[in-house]
Amino acid sequence: MRETDIAIIGGGPAGLSAAIYAASLGAKITLIDDGLELGGQLIKQTHKFFGSEAQFAGIRGIEIAKKLIQEIERCKNIELITNATVTGYYEDEVITIIQGADGNIMKKLKAQRIIVATGASENMLPFINNDLPGVYGAGAVQTLMNLYGVVPGNNVLMVGAGNIGLIVSYQLLQAGIKVEAIVEALPKIGGYLVHASKIRRLGVPIYTSHSLKEVYGTDWVEKAVISKVNKNFEFIPETEKELEVDTICLAVGLSPLSDLLWQAGCQMKYIVELGGYVALRDDHMKSSLDNIYIAGDVAGIEEASSAMLEGKIAGLNAAVSLGYRVDNFLELNINLRKELKELRANPLSEKVKIGLEKALIKREVD
Amino acid sequence: MIKKADIVIIGGGIQGCSIAYNLAKKGAKNIVILEKNTCASGSSGRCGAGIRQQFGTKMNCILARESMKIFETLSEELDYDIELNQAGYLILAYTEKEINQFKKNVVLEQSLGIEAKMVTPEEAKEIVPPLNLEGIIGGTFCPTDGNVNPLYTTFGYAEAAQRLGVKYYPFTEVTEIETEDKRILSVITNKGKILTPIVVNAAGGYSGPVGKMAGVDIPVYSQRHQILITEPIDPLWKPMLMSFSENYYFQQLPDGGVLGGYGDPEHEIIGDNVGSSWQFSRTMAKKMVKLVPILKEVHMVRQWAGLYNMSPDAQPILGEHPQLKGFYMSVGFSGHGFMLAPVTGRLIAELILDGKTSIPIDKLDIGRFKRGELICEPSVV
Repeated sequence: MRETDIAIIGGGPAGLSAAIYAASLGAKITLIDDGLELGGQLIKQTHKFFGSEAQFAGIRGIEIAKKLIQEIERCKNIELITNATVTGYYEDEVITIIQGADGNIMKKLKAQRIIVATGASENMLPFINNDLPGVYGAGAVQTLMNLYGVVPGNNVLMVGAGNIGLIVSYQLLQAGIKVEAIVEALPKIGGYLVHASKIRRLGVPIYTSHSLKEVYGTDWVEKAVISKVNKNFEFIPETEKELEVDTICLAVGLSPLSDLLWQAGCQMKYIVELGGYVALRDDHMKSSLDNIYIAGDVAGIEEASSAMLEGKIAGLNAAVSLGYRVDNFLELNINLRKELKELRANPLSEKVKIGLEKALIKREVD
Repeated sequence: MIKKADIVIIGGGIQGCSIAYNLAKKGAKNIVILEKNTCASGSSGRCGAGIRQQFGTKMNCILARESMKIFETLSEELDYDIELNQAGYLILAYTEKEINQFKKNVVLEQSLGIEAKMVTPEEAKEIVPPLNLEGIIGGTFCPTDGNVNPLYTTFGYAEAAQRLGVKYYPFTEVTEIETEDKRILSVITNKGKILTPIVVNAAGGYSGPVGKMAGVDIPVYSQRHQILITEPIDPLWKPMLMSFSENYYFQQLPDGGVLGGYGDPEHEIIGDNVGSSWQFSRTMAKKMVKLVPILKEVHMVRQWAGLYNMSPDAQPILGEHPQLKGFYMSVGFSGHGFMLAPVTGRLIAELILDGKTSIPIDKLDIGRFKRGELICEPSVV
């Protein structure tokens, strides 16, 4: 059986940052990712990031991924297992890994610490004919366009006006695709107004308090029916509107991919502000179990910038807990937490901050 | 919560619900089921839910046959579709010794009206075309064996019982059983105390500790058994495949997933641990792929575990405790509790209300261990 100091599950912004940080202290890292290449969602993010310089502000996601991957490749003490799915965390603390498309081989790995950075999965929406070809998650649309250069359709209805819905709408427009409308069930736009304004200027209507009721089509989507909703998100009769679209893009939120944490027996809590069930954690990103740390969207739906900082915190503390030394440990911890706090010091992070407070395990001695 | 009952059943799984339903159906009143978690959250909802009539002793054959008769009309009786699927059990033999035992079993089964028959390896392959016959020298097939949805069956019994007035208390854990002069007095739970003259121990994997609460030593222990299921695939075959010597049972369910398990009495954890092990999924996958090689291409999607409540002879312990009046046991089923629950629920109800049963179960009393009259069932996994 393979053995390692720290197994990091997920090679997105959180996992990569955790790996780099922990490796820099000398820990032996095994990084496992299910993608063909590392980077997680970053590799399809063609937009520039906000935040401070330390968090790669002004740089596009794809470029950030490249920088992180270069650093990973320079670290000799990071072992990579890509194109591999972690299928379980068992009672003897063994992680099972199925690698390759045919998945014939089950690898077993025992790690002293595990950092779970599995990210999130896209939410689905219940509506009539939601299994017709042409119904996509926003992440899938981004992958098709930005990674493989394939347009998903010609006329798109975007469902959801959070940042992902707005950014992907803009990217669709850039690719020359018509975005017929954006519907948002909430009474106001969830994403940054700067994104929303840009899209409106390009002639795309954003209907708030509206949702997708059903789609029609024989072999694929041909038409969508949207309707006004009341404050309980119930459709208001006779407010339906038909749209001629061949593509539905769902950007209706993400849910933390926390299955492994459940299996490991971490203390879990449903926190609506963080997107669903998350593991409780202390401010070192350690879960209720001493050997398991979390970072990124699995710890609560946020953005890549905060995921990277959480990854650094988890990586630093996991390595130090194994006896690896760094001179200014306390200071590093404080600075990373300060950076996170600054990043979250904006009105859009208010909800997240309420959620994080609910998820925090307060330690008696710091 | 109520303060007084005529009968308190501890355990809201298939045993408890079947007993409660049958009691209420016979006209009993003031019946309470106490369940420490939710309905079917224990071994009932975790079991493989195969139901077979092919056994090696007359009593087990009769009980299993009667249970199947009840299963056959249970959806109508309970007004709940339990998804009965009578696709048969194909039990495979790998040794001459096994074949000889199977021949005896089939003679017995046929004499009791069970439709089992011997099959050659070629006939086995006709019944299950993707079968790899390596090592198989024959087997038996009973077309009326099958499986049901274990959750729906338990829910069906629970709801039907409640329609007949039974009170079902979930999240209600028994902490003490009070007795006086070798009689049951009351049951104390985390939600309060219930006075009752009769307690039925139907606590499955937890029936040993429940016995201790009543000051009674029941010779049972619990052992983990694991199951895995694959992703749904196109229909490949229907019956349950089973072997005692090679130690497996698995079947493609109507929804396409292949579900299976095996017993591992030497390595499996004793106690109430229902976690999972990678050793199980690896070994089970190998067994499945060896027998049905095309499954090599299929992904496992889930695994879980439940508890076998084992008795010294792997046969249930049924009836009233001789030293404690009003304390009835329906425990120690050793892996066959689900498939037998329709009939044992009926018989326990008869025993409590009439003092006698329509099918003799006196050999299954707790006294048999002291008397040294253990039951020898050759055909168990």
